[in-house]
Amino acid sequence: MENHKENTSHPKVHISSFRDHWSTLATLLLLTAVTVVISVFGANLAALSVATALLIATVKVMVVAYYFMHLKYEKKIYTYLLLLVVLLFLAFTILTAIEYYNR
Amino acid sequence: MEHTTGFVLPNSGHNRDDESSRMGMWLFLFTELLLFGGLFIVYMVYRMLNHEAFLLSSFELNVTMGTVNTVVLLVSSMTVAMSITAVQRGNNALSAKLLAITLGLSLVFLVIKYFEWSAKIHHGLFPGMDLYKALPKGESLFFFLYFIMTGLHALHIIIGAVLMGVTIYRTKKGLINSDNYTLTENTGLYWHLVDLIWIYLFPLFYLIH
Repeated sequence: MENHKENTSHPKVHISSFRDHWSTLATLLLLTAVTVVISVFGANLAALSVATALLIATVKVMVVAYYFMHLKYEKKIYTYLLLLVVLLFLAFTILTAIEYYNR
Repeated sequence: MEHTTGFVLPNSGHNRDDESSRMGMWLFLFTELLLFGGLFIVYMVYRMLNHEAFLLSSFELNVTMGTVNTVVLLVSSMTVAMSITAVQRGNNALSAKLLAITLGLSLVFLVIKYFEWSAKIHHGLFPGMDLYKALPKGESLFFFLYFIMTGLHALHIIIGAVLMGVTIYRTKKGLINSDNYTLTENTGLYWHLVDLIWIYLFPLFYLIH
């Protein structure tokens, strides 16, 4: 009975190495440090604007999703679905804001 | 498996579908993103309407505690990702150990959050308390949103911690192994989502001065 094939759902899984995980963490910590330093010590620089903070946060989120959540090694459908959700959210938010501020 | 009836379910013999389980988790995570997305929109709109008040109130939050908690969550995200690597390589003991570290870090996060909240509550900043009621509208709203959003996030941390406990138990029992580790993956995905939400909460509440 060939139906008894054990596990067919991991045909060729990518196994991230511990080393990869450490580098991902280092990247995330670095980005966190940048945000905090700009915010706390950047009094004479331009203070951390909402846009900068959200930009850095978004880069961090992409790093987490891409490497820790394995999006890089998953089927493309996961990335497309995620993009769909994010774009829907952004389109709604940004269009509403533009509409409001252009009155 | 008898074939005498002439009818056999197409997949009889195993009723697992790891790919679909993971897809199910991702779909659930999308609904979570939209849930928090809604809260972020509320935050955004009221921040635009009460710009000065939000700015002023954000100085009340403890940046050190917020930063430490960010680091705690990032490290825990790495340990949970490592536990998947470990189980894929067939090292159950290491996987359980890494999950236990993650669980420990989630508790560290909650303890720090507890001290943060206690300090605010001690000052009477919790919605309904004296100082809160005496605050101008915009500032009390900042603290209202702070408690709602970090509170909902903390609830997710608690759920994640419970999930982590179940995964550790099943890993130690041998129910999870290099051939069947979807629970570890899904726990990991959920835990990363909790981290993702915090990545946005932290700058929005603590840092934007």
